[in-house]
Amino acid sequence: MSPTERSSSRGTLLLLLALIATAPARAEQAELPQVLLSRQLMEAEALSVGDVVELSADPSGAGARSFRIAGRYEPLPDPLLLAASRHEARLHLPDFLELTRVASDPSPDEAVSRISLLLADPEDAAAFAEDLGKRMPGLVAVPAGRAEDEHNPFVVLERFHLAISLITVFGSTAFLLALMVMRADERRETVGILRLIGFTRRRVLLEVFVEGLFVAVGGALFGVALAWTLEGAFNRFFQWHYDTPLVFVRVTGSIAWRCIAAAVPLGVLAGVVTSWTLLRRQVLELLRR
Amino acid sequence: MRAFAFAWRSLARQPARTVLALLGIAAVGALLFDMLLLSRGLVVSFSELLEETGFDVRVTATDSMPVTGPMILDAAAAARALEGLPEVEQASPLRVARAEARVEGGEPIELTLMGLGSNSRDLWTVVAGAPLPSETGWVVINDRLARELAVAPGDTLSLWDAGAPGSVATPAIDLRVAGIAEFAFDTRLERTAAVRLSDLSAVCALERAVAADVLLVASAAGSGPEQTVEAIRRLRPDLHAFSNVQLVNRFRAHDFSYFRQISVVLTTVTLSFAFLLITSLLTVSVNQRFAEVAALRAIGFSRARVVADLFCQSVLLVGGGGLVAIPLGAALAVWLDGILKSMAHIPVNLHFFVFQPRALVLHVALLGLVGMLAALYPIYLAARLPIAATLRNEVVS
Repeated sequence: MSPTERSSSRGTLLLLLALIATAPARAEQAELPQVLLSRQLMEAEALSVGDVVELSADPSGAGARSFRIAGRYEPLPDPLLLAASRHEARLHLPDFLELTRVASDPSPDEAVSRISLLLADPEDAAAFAEDLGKRMPGLVAVPAGRAEDEHNPFVVLERFHLAISLITVFGSTAFLLALMVMRADERRETVGILRLIGFTRRRVLLEVFVEGLFVAVGGALFGVALAWTLEGAFNRFFQWHYDTPLVFVRVTGSIAWRCIAAAVPLGVLAGVVTSWTLLRRQVLELLRR
Repeated sequence: MRAFAFAWRSLARQPARTVLALLGIAAVGALLFDMLLLSRGLVVSFSELLEETGFDVRVTATDSMPVTGPMILDAAAAARALEGLPEVEQASPLRVARAEARVEGGEPIELTLMGLGSNSRDLWTVVAGAPLPSETGWVVINDRLARELAVAPGDTLSLWDAGAPGSVATPAIDLRVAGIAEFAFDTRLERTAAVRLSDLSAVCALERAVAADVLLVASAAGSGPEQTVEAIRRLRPDLHAFSNVQLVNRFRAHDFSYFRQISVVLTTVTLSFAFLLITSLLTVSVNQRFAEVAALRAIGFSRARVVADLFCQSVLLVGGGGLVAIPLGAALAVWLDGILKSMAHIPVNLHFFVFQPRALVLHVALLGLVGMLAALYPIYLAARLPIAATLRNEVVS
């Protein structure tokens, strides 16, 4: 985490607290303040709902307070925290402020670093943020939706994956052309005979086109089906590896259509272009006479 | 005629298909090369950045990564104690805070403020002006901040705590700019300034002026970082010491693992893809040459010789394509690195694709292996070809 991120996350309600001691016995005292712990933290520390834990905002353990675990929760999956251990706790705001209060800090007790708003109309988020910024210059209001700026990690990763696909498409096109050249060469005499018995160039080319179309559509559909089949395996592996419910690979309808839209014309074009180089020749040349 | 020369002539006889096959192998090979560069690129680059600072051990309060966890509360005393160890040449506290800066009449600009112990060696490279003096009252800033504030060495800056919303504003402290520097971990959008720790305490009106995020330790001559780590752990078991290598290993296991996984997946896909394509290419080529192969066998070419010819064709195709793949992959790596580095919060000096001889050796070995495996099936077809039947079929057809 960079110092910038660190600063921006300082004082948020979701605070990583030092878990300094756990009491194995179940709490009998109902008056103890309650806390929710993340699934990852409870598993790491072998805790159960009802256990009593001591939390402190100080690494030395000073000022620790006892809390009863009221439940466990799954932290909101965040790709930016993919590699982080999600050892987190959620407290009621008054408990949090009490726990993190510094004696000499004159900040008011109800000071918070962030307020989340649920708008009546989420479409108004940008306009609302701008309006609030003008009315209350001390506040920074940011819409919670996905940032689309060019430096957003997800936008950048999308560009990276697109670049990788372009290289793959270039490589496979070269291979496809090489195979088509061979195939055209293999059918040289067949094409010569067809021409000799009266088939026009256009007719032969149409046949090649239709054949290429079938092969390209079949290949594209097979590719999409393969990706769809592997999707689950990829997701399960990465979800296990990073201990997250995040979805890493998703073959959407739009992606499948884009693949087919790129692969089919490319396949057909490769077949037609290589066949055309053959069809341009004289019939006798095709028959090696 | 030797097998290589014969294979070369076979390929040269059909230039179009050979060039296309080479292009295909070059593109796939370039992608493979890039994925090998990516698999360790971040780790190598991060390691180089850590080494650049001149400190080989980091000490923190908890096992959190430096500057992300709680602070060492008695940093000054801890640094003095560590400097008493024979394994330690220097121990310097480092604290990072958010601050705002302004020149007279200008707009305030938020920045990252680093505070270093007065005896510390620099964590930056000065590009204009002078290094940060050991006495207080001076600041070193990065180029972006210098441009935005329009200041040069010798000018005066006012700095104050950026504080969390709701905190009480602290009075501004005037500091003179000693120099403009390049900070190893600066991102493209980062505005950074460095001062002595006591100046940082004054700027941020810190209650715990002696606390630090991390202690940077340089091992004494003759003592390795691992020895230093052990000595620190013996002296202060309550602190957590990591050598640069240990830190890099932790990053490798967690923070950088996404790109390693991606590179492993893409390397596997690329190799499978290359195997399928080269096998198809050679198989179709052999199918077309059944008559030729049978004729060669009939005039006295041994089975081993035919196999050698096909093997050499595979070697020439994969070798030629693999050779073109290296400069092509290097060029693509620059392009892909540029794409990934446009991500926010990525230090300018950190690279995703880093060349290492190991990557080149792996590239050659993997492509060679794929070439050999891809040649197996077409070789099997050619070796088991019935000579008489094939020639008869050829004549009849």
